[in-house]
Amino acid sequence: MIWIGKTLVSHGEGGVYGEKLLGEYRIWDPHRSKFAALYYLGSAPELAHDMRVLYLGAANGTTVSHVADYVECVYAIEMAPRPMQDLLAVARRRDNIIPIMADARRVESFAFLLETVDLIYQDIAQPDQVAIAIRNSVFLRSGGVMIIVLKTRSISVAEDPRVILRRAEGELADAGFCISRSVWLDPYHQDHAVLICSRGPE
Amino acid sequence: MQSYWFGDVDENGCTPAPPEMSFLVARLESLRTVQERFIPFTWDPAGISGLCWTRAEYIARLRNLCFFLAELGIAQNYEARDAELLQMIRTLDELDDMVNNLTERTVEWYRVKNPDFSRKYLHLSRNRLMKLMKKDEGPAFRQIIEELERIWAVREAVTAEISSRAETVMPNCSALLGGLVASRLVSSAGGLGVLARLPGSSIQVLGSRTALYSHIRGGTPPPKHGIIFQHRRVHNATKATRGRVARVLAAKLAIAARIDYYRQERDAAFIAEAQSAIDSAGDLR
Repeated sequence: MIWIGKTLVSHGEGGVYGEKLLGEYRIWDPHRSKFAALYYLGSAPELAHDMRVLYLGAANGTTVSHVADYVECVYAIEMAPRPMQDLLAVARRRDNIIPIMADARRVESFAFLLETVDLIYQDIAQPDQVAIAIRNSVFLRSGGVMIIVLKTRSISVAEDPRVILRRAEGELADAGFCISRSVWLDPYHQDHAVLICSRGPE
Repeated sequence: MQSYWFGDVDENGCTPAPPEMSFLVARLESLRTVQERFIPFTWDPAGISGLCWTRAEYIARLRNLCFFLAELGIAQNYEARDAELLQMIRTLDELDDMVNNLTERTVEWYRVKNPDFSRKYLHLSRNRLMKLMKKDEGPAFRQIIEELERIWAVREAVTAEISSRAETVMPNCSALLGGLVASRLVSSAGGLGVLARLPGSSIQVLGSRTALYSHIRGGTPPPKHGIIFQHRRVHNATKATRGRVARVLAAKLAIAARIDYYRQERDAAFIAEAQSAIDSAGDLR
């Protein structure tokens, strides 16, 4: 990862969403992007230039653009038409983003477009988001890493976020994942936990 | 054999699909349903046997296809019959906010100019209030009042158009609830398709977010109605029957939304039956 002083940046064409620039580097704001917050908290795996990434819940493509600055290619899945329009505009100017309009829940509807990837990053607001991540893990190469941003408020507003996190950890462990870290994104994002896991030995 | 977007791969190598966009799209449609025991494609540094593509070429072709599919998907989504209705109803809500805020502010302004003015006991309707304030001499003030009247005229035009469009997009819901409130319901649900999949109990409390969450979290009494309160049969019902009317109305709306979405026609027999059920729910037993 590229740090200028204590600021996380990425190297690429600016002007995607009005982000500030430091020279020719784009500042990656941890308050806006949960992925960036993860690096500020010192717990995300390094992105490398030969990595292939599956990004579930690409939304408007702001975080996707930063990830694309670091890696070889990003498969960006988004379902809703409105953010998809923005994502297409971002992807038009970055030739390593592959925008796919599909429901991440229905893997069979886009599986033939994908390839095995080194990293899966999931940031979707669905109550069954852990199950969705597990379903998409077929694309993860052995030894690959899956990062799940757990939106506890989208899973249940009534339950204690810590209970939801523990249950998600259980579900992932049952599916054969080995959780290397789980962190809360405080103070950058509230009630968001991040699970970093990889496929354990079969 | 495994099928991917670029072709079929088996032990003998890859049988490429014809590269024309129309063939590719039609092929993907057929792939959507098959594919059991799927093995994801893994890029081989030597390329795909049977195709001599470099990695850059592979990505470029795939991107080309994905852009085409995404643009197609977006267009299809916006073509849905309720897409424009949603924007219209949200625009109307913005207009209402604007008119209300501006009216409130101009009345405050008017009070300062006329220390003896009070709205108490005057029963001033919107129109009469406007007429009164129009007599004021300040040029900027007059201009604002005129502007407010113009915005109001726009608001009326939008309302009329929403009602008539709702009649065609969802004839059954509109018959039960009126075009405007029915549109609000669709807007709150996020689309007619979503509304058609909601149970009656959810439709009943659509739009009562605060009350519903304080009920779930804090155990306050559950809300009896959300948006459907705006319908006269709910808000005119006596306090004792209001919950029942709301429940019956919501249950009938759930059916009406499904007829509107899936069958897309007006069902007069259903409407008559539903109307009488809702009416009788309001009778004190």
